[in-house]
Amino acid sequence: MSQPPLLSVEGLTVSFDTPDGVVHAVSGVSFELQAGQTLGIVGESGSGKSVTASSILRLNNSTTSSTTGRVLLDGRDVLGLSDDEMRAVRGRDVAMVFQDPLSALNPYYSVGDQIAEAFLVHHPKATAQEVRERVLGMLEKVGIPNPEKRIDEYPHQFSGGMRQRIVIAIALINSPRVLIADEPTTALDVTVQAQILDLMLDLQKETNMAIILITHDLGVVAEVADAALVMYGGRIVEQADVVSIFRQPTHPYSWGLLGAVGSLDTSTRGHLSTIPGTPPSLISIPSGCSFHPRCGHALGAGSACTTKVPDLRAVTGTTSKSACHLTDEQLVSIGRREVLQ
Amino acid sequence: MTKRRIIGAVSFALVASLVAASCGGDSGSDGGGDGEPKKGGTIRILSSGEQIAHLDPQRNYTGTDLAFAGSTMHRSLTSYKYEAGDAGSEIEGDLATDTGTVSNEGKTWSFTLRDGITFEDGSAITCADVAYGVSRSFATDTITDGPSYAVTYIDVEDYPGPYKATAEQQAAYDKAVACEGNTITFNLKNPVADFNYTTTLLTFSPVPKASDTGEKYDMSPVSSGPYKIESYEIGKALVLVRNENWNEDSDPLRKAYPDSIIYEFGLEEATIDERMIADVGDDQFAVAEGIQPENLQTIFEGDEALKSRAIDYYDPYVSYTNLNNERLSCYEVRKAIYLAIDRDALRKAGGGPYTGDYADGFVKPALALDYAQSTMPEGLNEDGTANVEAAKAAVAEAETKCPDVVKLAQDGMNFYYPDTPVWQKALAIWQSNMEAIGFSIKPEAVEPSNYWPTVMNPETEYDIVRGGWAPDWANASTVIPELFTTGGGFNLTRNSKDPDYAEFEGLVNEARVNLDRVAQGKQWQELNQYVVDRLWALPGTFLKSQSIWGSKVGNTFQWGPFGAFCFGNLYVK
Amino acid sequence: MLLFVTRRLMFALALLLAVSLFTYLLFAMLPSDPAALTCSKNCKPEIIEANRIRLGYDKPILEQYWLFLKGIFVGRDYGVGQAAFSCPAPSLGYSYGQHECVTTLIARTFPVTAYLSIGAFILWMTLGISLGSIAALKRGRWQDRAATTFSAVGVSLPTFYIGLLVLFSFCIWLRILPFPSYESPFVDPKSFFLTMLLPWLTLAVLSAASYTRLTRNGMLEAMNEDFVRLGIAKGLRRRTILRRYVLRSALVPIVTIAGLDFAALLGGAIITESVFSLPGMGRMSIRAVVDSDLPVLVGTTMVAAVFIVLANVIVDIMYGVLDPRVRTK
Repeated sequence: MSQPPLLSVEGLTVSFDTPDGVVHAVSGVSFELQAGQTLGIVGESGSGKSVTASSILRLNNSTTSSTTGRVLLDGRDVLGLSDDEMRAVRGRDVAMVFQDPLSALNPYYSVGDQIAEAFLVHHPKATAQEVRERVLGMLEKVGIPNPEKRIDEYPHQFSGGMRQRIVIAIALINSPRVLIADEPTTALDVTVQAQILDLMLDLQKETNMAIILITHDLGVVAEVADAALVMYGGRIVEQADVVSIFRQPTHPYSWGLLGAVGSLDTSTRGHLSTIPGTPPSLISIPSGCSFHPRCGHALGAGSACTTKVPDLRAVTGTTSKSACHLTDEQLVSIGRREVLQ
Repeated sequence: MTKRRIIGAVSFALVASLVAASCGGDSGSDGGGDGEPKKGGTIRILSSGEQIAHLDPQRNYTGTDLAFAGSTMHRSLTSYKYEAGDAGSEIEGDLATDTGTVSNEGKTWSFTLRDGITFEDGSAITCADVAYGVSRSFATDTITDGPSYAVTYIDVEDYPGPYKATAEQQAAYDKAVACEGNTITFNLKNPVADFNYTTTLLTFSPVPKASDTGEKYDMSPVSSGPYKIESYEIGKALVLVRNENWNEDSDPLRKAYPDSIIYEFGLEEATIDERMIADVGDDQFAVAEGIQPENLQTIFEGDEALKSRAIDYYDPYVSYTNLNNERLSCYEVRKAIYLAIDRDALRKAGGGPYTGDYADGFVKPALALDYAQSTMPEGLNEDGTANVEAAKAAVAEAETKCPDVVKLAQDGMNFYYPDTPVWQKALAIWQSNMEAIGFSIKPEAVEPSNYWPTVMNPETEYDIVRGGWAPDWANASTVIPELFTTGGGFNLTRNSKDPDYAEFEGLVNEARVNLDRVAQGKQWQELNQYVVDRLWALPGTFLKSQSIWGSKVGNTFQWGPFGAFCFGNLYVK
Repeated sequence: MLLFVTRRLMFALALLLAVSLFTYLLFAMLPSDPAALTCSKNCKPEIIEANRIRLGYDKPILEQYWLFLKGIFVGRDYGVGQAAFSCPAPSLGYSYGQHECVTTLIARTFPVTAYLSIGAFILWMTLGISLGSIAALKRGRWQDRAATTFSAVGVSLPTFYIGLLVLFSFCIWLRILPFPSYESPFVDPKSFFLTMLLPWLTLAVLSAASYTRLTRNGMLEAMNEDFVRLGIAKGLRRRTILRRYVLRSALVPIVTIAGLDFAALLGGAIITESVFSLPGMGRMSIRAVVDSDLPVLVGTTMVAAVFIVLANVIVDIMYGVLDPRVRTK
């Protein structure tokens, strides 16, 4: 771990101007990522996980959002790049897989065209023959049977799982070093979900790319990630390696999440509705710890929980970091108890 | 043209000019100072119509079309003089050397053709060509819409026109319209004192038999005048150019100043006015008939220069109201109705003073010989407003004399009107006017295109029906008999059962055959008064029209008989 | 595809039959009497009757219709003796008002309408799509507000008065252009162009208004699509994304409406033709209504119907070209 990180996010803060007020989508998020590593970012919808991911590629609406902090890719801050430089990063260094393969593909062009387009934009001098071979190879690699035939077909002629494979093919055609997968399996059947995840991991082994996997499903994180970030209300509430997050979670919110994962009922598995209450409004975030209205361990009115935003700090006796006003001892002991249940 | 349409289906055409007299010389004749008329250039006519209704001489009938086609392409046996003022109503030989010779007590008319008269291909116009032209007007199933005077007057029975005629039928016609050398003789059924006025109609224009294409002849008639068709596209334009085979020496009337005449069709009325007012470029050489009501003030009550390029004149039309004298068979009731009508309000509803002046009869002053100021019923307000007091007095008188008729008027008189906005307004005025004297109106709205057929149907039980008329030539013989005798083409008064009718018809027949035109005029004056005294119909308005021309057009006088420009004699300044 | 075309053609034929029959029946039910309307003076009942026979309106309406149908295949003869003439097949009848076979009339007036429509169509599509795109790209800025205002105002402006205003401004008050006087482009291209310029512009600007709105809304909607975000994430140029992703998907509904609008225009741009005195089919058809000229009315109606049918087929084909989801179904 002595080599400089491939991707380093420092103090990322993103807000949006909306007619209803300013949405504080992401506040002071920092993390690092090494080549070949998989980072799972977990949270409910509105936790800021997707905005964090799209900020790395600067996909947020530039007229309504404002972004501060740094996103260092190989030590270079992408937030400071010109539009042309940024375009060169997109799809080549950092690629993205979206949640819904049904809507992520352009319905008006063949899948071959769309994959080729992604390649050509970064390899303008490639010949048609090269491009076609490359695309066919990629289709084969992502597991599309009979690619020679299917290369000229249109997205609507593919099943959901197949379309996600094509989205992955688009993302990987330029062998990016970072792949951001924003809930890549949420829209898919359970059986297909595993296939897609396996595919991503296989390809990762081959290219040694780093993956940021955004999900609300801790189960997914457990299967594929090396490390995990838990986000709530636009902030990181817990940062840990994947073993610790399951064995020794150090944040009341994580405890809630793990409770949900433990459920055998697949209809609620991974769904955070099992935590009472609703996610906070990002326009008027609760004072102090934004989780306190839903937290079973909160210290009560007037305590630090309602007045002071907790810092993300290392929890003594663990390798994890947590943003909670409880003491380290409390976090370790309660955490252990919660997991044992 | 809109007004012409409103007046409707019935009658178009001629009247002598009273323009100079009544308009105070407003601009009846073109002012001097612009030098002599000269040849050359192109005259334009801007029109909202899509075409000339009929360019086929035997089908041509409306005032403007007659003035246009007659002065450019089609010569007839006789013609009105190409002059402003009263002189324009006088006739002269055109194809004929003179205005004809009458014999057999008015039943035989002969005309001798001039030498040197030719068609556009240079061939001579013969007596047979004229006779053939006239014969076409008998083919009423093909040659439609034209005047039917030839059919009515000429002494031949069951002649179906040249297309369907058997040899015998054709022989009979050739006897009635006989050619002897270059003299054509018409044998008439009854005496017609003014037949040589009838022959001004283009019914009496020659048509070369070989070129006759029947219905289609309308698009490509052969010219006998100074201009011929270069191109004619409906909805676009008619372009006339010089007919090199026209022999100027054979034509005492047509001056043929411009080299070409372009009749532009299909223009929006608003566009025509705007172009004429602007007077720019080619439009300086243009003339246009009819001005939109909203532009009348601008043109006639503003800029002098603009006013000098326009004319507000009496057209040949008279509007009036027919009463059903079989039902309203009592003079006092008819008088009460007339006195109670607010003519002022009706005129306002129709467009105000520019529509015309209150009429004192059915013959317009333009028919100078036949017009005399009438004595109007006592109590009629000169300013056109209703005289309710006098009307009520007339009702009271009628109560004792003819209570049944009063009751009919009170129960409701059938008022037939074309279902148009103007007439809906008129109806409302009539209703309130009649109510004021205890009478009432039963409105009967008729789809506008069916109006005349409906009211001309003898089965229709109307009491009040509109009327509008223009004489067919400068003689009240085309007014009084047409409107008020049983044989007339447009008698809607149903006056035949009036006790005075027999006497009236006798007087009309005497006037008709009077070969002394001045004495005849006196008779028409008296007969006009005769009708006014009995109020078989109620005089309405002597109608006016407006025209405008570009600053570089000369000879822009209104040709009295037609109420139109003398197109062929316009010239480029 | 063959089946598709055959079925379409059969449908089109059936529709034309229905349209023409409907026009005949409707005409028969009109309150106005065409025989009375076309007789000028001396409208005595017997003259009206003679006129009715001449025009063929004396026959039962279905017989008239049958003669019309027959005429399309074998032509029609009129008149007798020297006055005889015929309208050869395909004959749509004869207009006594215009002294010409209807087929000839349409052949003469239709090109004018076609030139007007095609020119205006190209202009308005270009203008509407450009303005709509600019508005969508500059959403909320002055360009957007200007385009939106143009669109709102343009949609509600009456063609007739705007046409007159434009005509008067350019040809009478400012005198930049000569007064329109239609000439075939093959006879006098310059005069043709100068005459058509204002009608093209008027029609284009007024019609572009609704296309500006359509394009703007379509593009804004498309910009929120996931696949557009994926396009950006691919590193595509903005221009490429706008063209291949945003505009492309906004275009599909536009094509449908444009096709039908264009077809309607080919059926006769009545107001524009009237204002600018263009001798086109629209003006002729409205005149036929006023004059109760049944043959012209039926002829122009059928031509208009043909174009509506054709436009539908073309729109369907275009749909297939533009949207692969339709093509392969």
